[in-house]
Amino acid sequence: MSSWRNFFTYNKYSQITARALRASFTEQERVAAERRGLTILKFQRWENGLGGTQIPLAEEEARLKEAVGKSS
Amino acid sequence: MSSLRLFTSAARKASSLRTFGRRGYAEANDKLKLSLVLPHESIFTSTDVVQVNIAAEAGDMGILANHVPSIEPLRPGVVEVIETNGASKKWFTSSGFATVHPNNRLTINVVEAASLEKFSLEAVRANLAEALKVASGSGSETDKAEARVEADVYEALQHALAK
Repeated sequence: MSSWRNFFTYNKYSQITARALRASFTEQERVAAERRGLTILKFQRWENGLGGTQIPLAEEEARLKEAVGKSS
Repeated sequence: MSSLRLFTSAARKASSLRTFGRRGYAEANDKLKLSLVLPHESIFTSTDVVQVNIAAEAGDMGILANHVPSIEPLRPGVVEVIETNGASKKWFTSSGFATVHPNNRLTINVVEAASLEKFSLEAVRANLAEALKVASGSGSETDKAEARVEADVYEALQHALAK
């Protein structure tokens, strides 16, 4: 039943279930709810006191997914 | 007659003070303090309620006053709250934890929750069909696991709305 533990963390699991719930609202509710699922996060890697480029998290996740898809 | 009842209730209370830590059952008019909180909204904050039914991973359970302290992960399902006036309200929760604290407090932390009339059965059915298609499709194992998690949510939602 909890085979998902092999693939992602509990944090990701809770985000997935929340997303599924929001997708099942009526039209009216969904408008307000969609914004709650939005995460805009940028990160940058620091090395030797210098910051690297700022990368949006969504881009990084898409890139990683593609890399996993190619290797599998 | 009333003096006898007063005596027995006082004796019961006194014995509970002496044997603090000894567990017992909830009395008929004992209440517990419920805090049902979401990241963006607090549905209950330390409100006196009579009973809370939750859908834990280990199974459905009903929590009354003076429950033994426990931490229960919740599966996507219905949380029902029976208030002091007898009215019962239901919310469908996504996932989270229900924690009974030693001082008769119940904290339920979930990411998303909404009362059942906020959902559309059509949307649920469509989403479920979509999720099952992906889960049995030819994507990566991670995608299939995600779709299976979503399908579980939709199935639980469908079951809750059908009642």
